[in-house]
Amino acid sequence: MERMDRRKFLASSAVFGGGVLLAGCGGGAGSQPSAGGTPTETHPPIGQEPGTLNILEWPGYEAGGTKAQTYGMLAGTNYTDEFGADGLKYTYIVNDTQAVNKARQTEFDLMHPCIENVQDYVNSGLVQPWDTSLLPSFKNLNPALTERGMVDGKQYFVPWDWGYASILYRTDMVDAADATGWELFWNEKYKGRISMWDGAQSNFEVAALKLGFPEMDNQTSDQVQQSKEALIEQKPLNKFYWKSTYSDMQPAFKAGDIWIAYSWQDGYVNMKAEGLAVDFMQPSQGKLGWVCGFMLGAKTKSYHHAHKYVESFLDHEACVDLVNLFYYGSADTTVQPSDVENKALAKKLNIGDPEALNGDDVNIQSWMPNEDEVALAWQEVSAA
Amino acid sequence: MAVASSASPQRAGLFGRLFSAPGRGWLTLPVICFLLAVFVFPLVLIGLYSVNLLTNLFGVPTNFSLVNWESFLPPGDNVFWDRFKISMVITLLVSVMAVVAAYPLAYFLAFVARKRRYTLLLLILAPFFTSYLLRVIAWKVILANNGVINSALWELGIREQGDGIQWLIYSWFAVALVLFYSWVPFVALPIYVVLENMDRRLLEAAQDLGAGRLRTFFRVTLPLSLPGVIAAFVFVLIPTTGEFIAPLLVGGPDNSMFGNSIQAFFSETPNWNYGAVLAVWLIAIVIVLVLLFGRFLSTDLRQGRATA
Repeated sequence: MERMDRRKFLASSAVFGGGVLLAGCGGGAGSQPSAGGTPTETHPPIGQEPGTLNILEWPGYEAGGTKAQTYGMLAGTNYTDEFGADGLKYTYIVNDTQAVNKARQTEFDLMHPCIENVQDYVNSGLVQPWDTSLLPSFKNLNPALTERGMVDGKQYFVPWDWGYASILYRTDMVDAADATGWELFWNEKYKGRISMWDGAQSNFEVAALKLGFPEMDNQTSDQVQQSKEALIEQKPLNKFYWKSTYSDMQPAFKAGDIWIAYSWQDGYVNMKAEGLAVDFMQPSQGKLGWVCGFMLGAKTKSYHHAHKYVESFLDHEACVDLVNLFYYGSADTTVQPSDVENKALAKKLNIGDPEALNGDDVNIQSWMPNEDEVALAWQEVSAA
Repeated sequence: MAVASSASPQRAGLFGRLFSAPGRGWLTLPVICFLLAVFVFPLVLIGLYSVNLLTNLFGVPTNFSLVNWESFLPPGDNVFWDRFKISMVITLLVSVMAVVAAYPLAYFLAFVARKRRYTLLLLILAPFFTSYLLRVIAWKVILANNGVINSALWELGIREQGDGIQWLIYSWFAVALVLFYSWVPFVALPIYVVLENMDRRLLEAAQDLGAGRLRTFFRVTLPLSLPGVIAAFVFVLIPTTGEFIAPLLVGGPDNSMFGNSIQAFFSETPNWNYGAVLAVWLIAIVIVLVLLFGRFLSTDLRQGRATA
């Protein structure tokens, strides 16, 4: 549950599940199969593939060169230059649970989940491992992240983007002495000025960090109960649980309705750009860290096309563009701080630092074995 | 169906009549198939989910089980049951308020507006040319802490700049207001139809017999319009029981309704089985409501047949 519409995306889509199927129809001349893919035993050569890719994707991440890509993102352009954009079809998702559910109902060639759900895709037999020899840029990726993308020794997940989640707060409204850690969400002083995200897993992670549990993503039933009680206790302090970072959290933050919010780094970047006195907290318990990447459909008929597509995202220039466009981190270790246009942000958000996610000051989200129990507990918090 | 068979003098029952009159009876077959396919079949599926005979989870055995039902229904504490009770209170409140507010509107259209009534009717319905979602978001703009109302109060110096009224949004007030606003025009329509088709001679007769305006209203107009009023009440009550958009957009952390829980179980959590229990319960409640009010719902509102 980690990536609900980080891109500008209407609340309508969030409300109705955003199940829009949109052809990424570009101006290309259609699929132009080219020779050169490495034929393997089980996969026909690239020239014999249909060349269509059904992609489960977050809005805003469409390949460059498709009409759907409106941010001018560079990633994917190499692919659309070579094969055209007509074969790319995007189905949109706004949160991770929804993504898994959709993937279970329709066969996708490519998916873009986050690391905590990798195990769900593998367990459900929805994906197959990548052939990393077909991804020339794979060697540039942060080994700490690629290791996390392995299941049973196979590379099921190719990391691409990462970032932080923490508390975004107004430095002119919140006492510096109070802004120490995740317990700020529980501070009665700011009742009605707080907004946590309407997300099950992340809220239970926050509660676990506040309560000092050793493993935030592997809570015992007893710990889940304690986290649940902590969240019920915290509930009245919220102005509202935000559903969409762009359509309700950021406008309310900008308007001064809320001073303290769960946020990804884009919230920080945007509020700073609005001229507000804000900080993106380094909680004493550590920030949350998320990593997302690509997974390959188990039954894809466009095996080589899928590799080409992902390679066009792993491309160095594409990764540099990602960090400058969205201020998210890139899994590509060849992206240096010097590549980032806004140096202050690069420093604050550790963009271009390959060690960024390795320290004690960040808790990388991972698979929750008891995610159903946690999801039910969160519904009980919502209904309490 | 019960109405159809009781209205018919034949004793052959529904199927008997269908088969004995092949010329007409078979014409209903496509409709019956359609209803079975898109209404009854999905309901059966939801029912199977609720007793764990189907599941959306992988690796979970599907055995008949009432565990989720036992967990939901009293006795025993259950937050979703509490949510259901709160939602019903809000729904009833909104329905009553909408009917009370819509009645004068319908009365005005039927008795006062005369030639302009259709223009006015169109104006009342005009907001419905845009989507419900956009209208709710428009309310957000009005009610927000720096929204239209609070900004006006600040500009007029009634409240200090930046000090907005806190309960305007993210509150039960906001949820109820949005639901009320959304339903008033729909509620006005059935009442209007009844009033419009009322036999005016009865009103003249009442006045001839010495009844004043108020007395005429309470003794003649209101009783005759009750079928429309009850239809209107049911019109708003039934859809509102499952409402989830208004609480999602203008409700605070404490203002989620039963519909939000159902929606969340199907989209936010992978537990369709529990969501199905809540959904089946809601359907059951709606069916009970329809049966309860059904006898007041004359198929032909103009006749005002039902008496109260």
